Amino acid sequence: MTLSFFDQFSSPMFLGIPLMALAIMLPWIMFPTPSSRWINNRMLTLQNWFINLFTKQLLLPLNTAGHKWALIFASLMIFLISLNMLGLLPYTFTPTTQLSLNMGLAVPLWLATVIIGMRNQPTHSLGHLLPEGTPVPLIPVLIIIETISLFIRPIALGVRLTANLTAGHLLIQLIATAAFVLMPLMPTIALLTTVLLFLLTLLEVAVAMIQAYVFVLLLSLYLQENV
Amino acid sequence: MGGHDAGSQHQFTGFAKYFNAYTMVGRRNCVLATYASLAAIGLFFKLKPKKQAAVTEK
Repeated sequence: MTLSFFDQFSSPMFLGIPLMALAIMLPWIMFPTPSSRWINNRMLTLQNWFINLFTKQLLLPLNTAGHKWALIFASLMIFLISLNMLGLLPYTFTPTTQLSLNMGLAVPLWLATVIIGMRNQPTHSLGHLLPEGTPVPLIPVLIIIETISLFIRPIALGVRLTANLTAGHLLIQLIATAAFVLMPLMPTIALLTTVLLFLLTLLEVAVAMIQAYVFVLLLSLYLQENV
Repeated sequence: MGGHDAGSQHQFTGFAKYFNAYTMVGRRNCVLATYASLAAIGLFFKLKPKKQAAVTEK
């Protein structure tokens, strides 16, 4: 069986049984269950602190109507950040490298924000498609451009996450293979490549967290315009 | 997202009262007019009768 660099992105199967559902559910079993105790243990305190900090920060620019989305934003952030970080472990599968998963998250959530805007405040939602103060000859052109940019948003959301994660994983595998192959031939170059691999892994840890945050942040911005 | 114009400082008259790029209602009307125009153009080309090629005698 010839291995290729893209095998890490193939949907996991075991004896013909797809393991995708297990891969997606894995972060859920790794988080401590919230309790009703007044003072919790360290893990739970840390988890609650992070979720509270993140949710407060994200919901600052939103009005009261937008606060209904606090739960979904917090859970989406935890879901994405845990999937991304777990995927950095060697020989693990990262579900967020699959475009289907990311589009399955991006499209319904984006569409929900658009429908909420059109339903509750149609004048504002439609008015946002024309920037204020546009010169008269440019009005039709700009409306078409803004409409196209509106419809490109979910595609950009999904593809941004997919591309960042996929590119990062691919780079890690390429540079790790290069370091491994060069070890018997040119040990000094192999050592430099290993240093590069270490720095790249640090970068990928940052990218994993940032991309999860950017996904949720952009959704909150789209909600802000419509609520 | 703040900053949308309440339209209090703009006093438009006539056509500009309903179609302008400053008030929210004006911007909405411009958007709807653009969409209606595009739909009308699309409908025109869809329903336009196709010219049949003239048959020439040999």
